[in-house]
Amino acid sequence: MLEIIKNMFRRKTRTILTISGITIGIFAFVVMGSMAEKINILVSGGTTYYKDKVIVNDKSGSTFMTSPLSIDKAKEIEKVEGVQAVQAEVTVMLDSIDSISFGIPPMIIGSDDKGAPYESFKLDMAKGEKISATDYGKVMVGSDLVKKLNATVGQKIKIKGKEFEVKGIMAKTLTAPDSEVYMTLKDAQEMYHDTLPTVIQPQVKPEVLVTNFTVYSKEGVDPNTLAAKIDKEVAGVKSQGPKAFQDQIASATGILNSILFGIAAISLLVGGLSIINTMTMSIAERTKEIGIKKAVGAKTKNIMLEYLTEAGLIGLFGGIIGWALGGIMVFLVNSAMEANGNTIFLLTNRLTFFAIFFSVTLGVIAGIYPAYHAVKINIVKALREE
Amino acid sequence: MNETILQLRKISKTYIIGTRKNAAKAQKAIQKLHRTYEDECEKEDSKCRQKTEALLEKAQDLFAQEKYEQSYQLVTGKMINPRPKDRGAVVHALNNVTIDIKKGELVAIVGPSGSGKSTLLNMLGLLDSPTAGLIFLGDLNVTGIKNKKLPEIRSKDLGFVFQSFNLIPSLTALENVMLPLKYAGIAVSKRREMAIKALESVGLGDRLDHTPNELSGGQGQRVAIARSIVNSPSIIFGDELTGELDTNMTHEVMELIQKLNKGGQTFIIVTHNPEVAKMCKRIIYMLDGKIEREKHNN
Repeated sequence: MLEIIKNMFRRKTRTILTISGITIGIFAFVVMGSMAEKINILVSGGTTYYKDKVIVNDKSGSTFMTSPLSIDKAKEIEKVEGVQAVQAEVTVMLDSIDSISFGIPPMIIGSDDKGAPYESFKLDMAKGEKISATDYGKVMVGSDLVKKLNATVGQKIKIKGKEFEVKGIMAKTLTAPDSEVYMTLKDAQEMYHDTLPTVIQPQVKPEVLVTNFTVYSKEGVDPNTLAAKIDKEVAGVKSQGPKAFQDQIASATGILNSILFGIAAISLLVGGLSIINTMTMSIAERTKEIGIKKAVGAKTKNIMLEYLTEAGLIGLFGGIIGWALGGIMVFLVNSAMEANGNTIFLLTNRLTFFAIFFSVTLGVIAGIYPAYHAVKINIVKALREE
Repeated sequence: MNETILQLRKISKTYIIGTRKNAAKAQKAIQKLHRTYEDECEKEDSKCRQKTEALLEKAQDLFAQEKYEQSYQLVTGKMINPRPKDRGAVVHALNNVTIDIKKGELVAIVGPSGSGKSTLLNMLGLLDSPTAGLIFLGDLNVTGIKNKKLPEIRSKDLGFVFQSFNLIPSLTALENVMLPLKYAGIAVSKRREMAIKALESVGLGDRLDHTPNELSGGQGQRVAIARSIVNSPSIIFGDELTGELDTNMTHEVMELIQKLNKGGQTFIIVTHNPEVAKMCKRIIYMLDGKIEREKHNN
């Protein structure tokens, strides 16, 4: 092994440049992959959350841009056959629209908690306690927002200019709740009321305002069928079951993932070609040495193994450095964005494993052609080389 | 002392350059007949073998006389038309060479450039394969052996010393000497021990960690000799091993070879240098791919 490492660094500049090629590829793979991993885990959390419920919005609204609904609609929805419970919710963006960033923006969620007995997505607390439906003026904060809001249990924080007491801090879920603040429905309604245009504000009372309903289906009732039924029987609403989430979000992220990994794959392809180039050059320079080794008894597998190991080591070094630089990049960007309550990267163990495994495999594959060329060298001709 | 350890029987090496199609066809036919002959030798079918041997000899003679069409017809029974417009050349680097090497010999192969001595050494050392003929290492017919098995034979039974030492520049003297042992599958600790012993036997026990460029020419060649003797091979081949050394260093190296030969080691050396040849027990003179004559020194 020492001999192979020595051989690698006989042409230091060339080897370092080749390693740099792989480093860039793996760096891109780690950074892009971390972004994809974060998106995947968010989507996975969303899929789990939406799997057994129906989200009902105003017909004119969209998934992210909500229009106000009257809380009275809950009674109409409750009457639809197959509905177990209807939870009224108000969802407001924590920051103004001009500070929107990549990923899911930090949100304020207020609910009447009527769906709590049927909720399968459980939130654990890292510190403090959960808020109840009557904990006015109190909030529980998602883990990614702690730094942004400077939240400490028992202390007051300001949200949209109003003071709230932090009752609890949620444990990290790696999904949407990490960038959410939960409060009572009443508090959220007032906050939402304040966001409405001043012309409209006097015409509506805060306590009738909701942005959406979360509908829990009875056991054995398909939430997708229930969504269609609500749309049919309740006027002015648009319902979305788990399938709608899958169709809109999960499939879109699949395309995004392909683009991200595609960019990384191109970088790696370039790195792989540079290994082929370097190894071919090395073998051309070491033709005589290969002849000597064969003359003193080296078998095909010995020569093949030496050059494949060398190519694999180039891949490994490039992979480790690329992974480390990618990790530093992910850490720095996440740290910087944590202040805004929005992290966009997630460097997982499986991504680390794949980055290193992939770089070594790439090195070995790129080394096959030059190594094959090396084993085919004619001893007599090789020994004649100057 | 009289045991034959290496035998070459009617070895030919021909290089066909350009488009000499009839020569290539005849060569192919002879090689095919040769394989039949090898099979018959293994089956000990003496009647068939004698018949094939006679046919092979005649075909090879015709080939050597550049009568390719007749040679092809003799082997296959089919006629081919002469191709006078074919361009290129047929080079007979070795032509029907037969040699017996006995255990403990110190043989010099001499001759002018292009006489075929290096080609002969490559055949003897199993670095190259003949166009026709048989090579026996002890009782083993190595001509028919598959290429996969040759490295094992080279790493255990044969040693090589080359003109320009052919040491690997990035390795120390010790690592260079350990190389054949590595390929022979010997454990690292044992390798080290054997390599140190070999280097000490050539007087370089104090140069273990020196790289080739830190050694003099004589020392470099002594490292190469240590590498060739480290696995106690049956035969060591030297190709112009004193070619790049001055007179003093040539004597130094040859004295070492004579010392090792006295210990029973067989050497076959290709050389241009008459002084080196004089120091060998047997001299084979080559000319135009054939053995011209032999001489034994007392």
